[in-house]
Amino acid sequence: MHSTATGATARALLDSLVDHGFTLATGVPCSLLTGAFRLLEDPGDDARLARLRYVPAPREDSAIGIASGAVVAGERAVVLMQNSGLGYSLNVITSFNLIYDVPVLLIVSWRGHDGNDAVEHDVIGAELLRLLELFRLPYTVLDHADPAASVATVIDLMDKEQRCGVLVVREGI
Amino acid sequence: MSAPAPTPSAALTLSDVAAELLDRHPDAVIVSTCGFTTRELFNAADRPENFYLVGSMGIAAPVALGIALARPARTVIALDGDGSLLMNLGVLPLVAGAGVPLLHVVVDNGMHESTGGQATVGRADFTALALAAGYAHAVRVEDAAGLRAADLTPRPALLHALTGPRTGGPGRRVTHTPQQIVERLSAALDPVAA
Repeated sequence: MHSTATGATARALLDSLVDHGFTLATGVPCSLLTGAFRLLEDPGDDARLARLRYVPAPREDSAIGIASGAVVAGERAVVLMQNSGLGYSLNVITSFNLIYDVPVLLIVSWRGHDGNDAVEHDVIGAELLRLLELFRLPYTVLDHADPAASVATVIDLMDKEQRCGVLVVREGI
Repeated sequence: MSAPAPTPSAALTLSDVAAELLDRHPDAVIVSTCGFTTRELFNAADRPENFYLVGSMGIAAPVALGIALARPARTVIALDGDGSLLMNLGVLPLVAGAGVPLLHVVVDNGMHESTGGQATVGRADFTALALAAGYAHAVRVEDAAGLRAADLTPRPALLHALTGPRTGGPGRRVTHTPQQIVERLSAALDPVAA
């Protein structure tokens, strides 16, 4: 399940976020998102990526809080997390984002999607999409062949519905 | 890890703390934690720069941090309670590590008052915790004189205000809708676009 990606998909995904005006990224790492976190922590000489400020968070609900504050202040913000973090996040999503109409973009890895992952991912992995549907969080699964299109799709859904949009990442980036 | 209880006669109230904050930082954005804290801030001094949380216990400081990151020129205050900070103590290293000036105020009545006065896990020395987490400054106040004398410069800094048990009711609930709370703050932050 560990990432074997070269970082090209992660770079395309993050570049696309910058192109859509995102200025703040926060979250809690997942091994499936290693490439994305590596670039967020150190964009190197990539001036475009450097425009996406990264703030590490101790918990996913706190990360959503940070992103929400930035959105209220007029920025676009994204939270990266493992699907296990959605459990911690449900209260802030349901008692803040979905009642104040403050959408933040969530990039959520899908550990346990094939039922062949570490045991702690089995239950949430089997139910991830149904959980998103239950709370009517619009989502799309990342197309590794065209990350920019996936980003555009989920941002479009989020803007249209004014609810947190979720980009589901099934394979390592 | 214990903080002394204030003597009831000289006990501060959340309204005293809010008044002092607004006197020192009249333009500050104040993000208040849910329950009686938000209700008391609303009843003490309703203003567009008050961002009232009505749920999401433990998330006031992260929301305040997000606003401060986006608007470095504004003074931003997180108005927490002892119960809500204890619920999410991880915000202390988060705020310290983010490297933005923020004033984190903890109004500590020693109980979960909004839900009926139940015990918290215990009284905590929030100034010691904040300094250990990396805050540049932390001060505990127990009465009006201490509050007046306290350095409230956001650095990040933590103000631990011991308050007494409530004598009156909690006051009315916030009458603005959540959407109005967002719109008012957005307009206050960006008057040109309003």
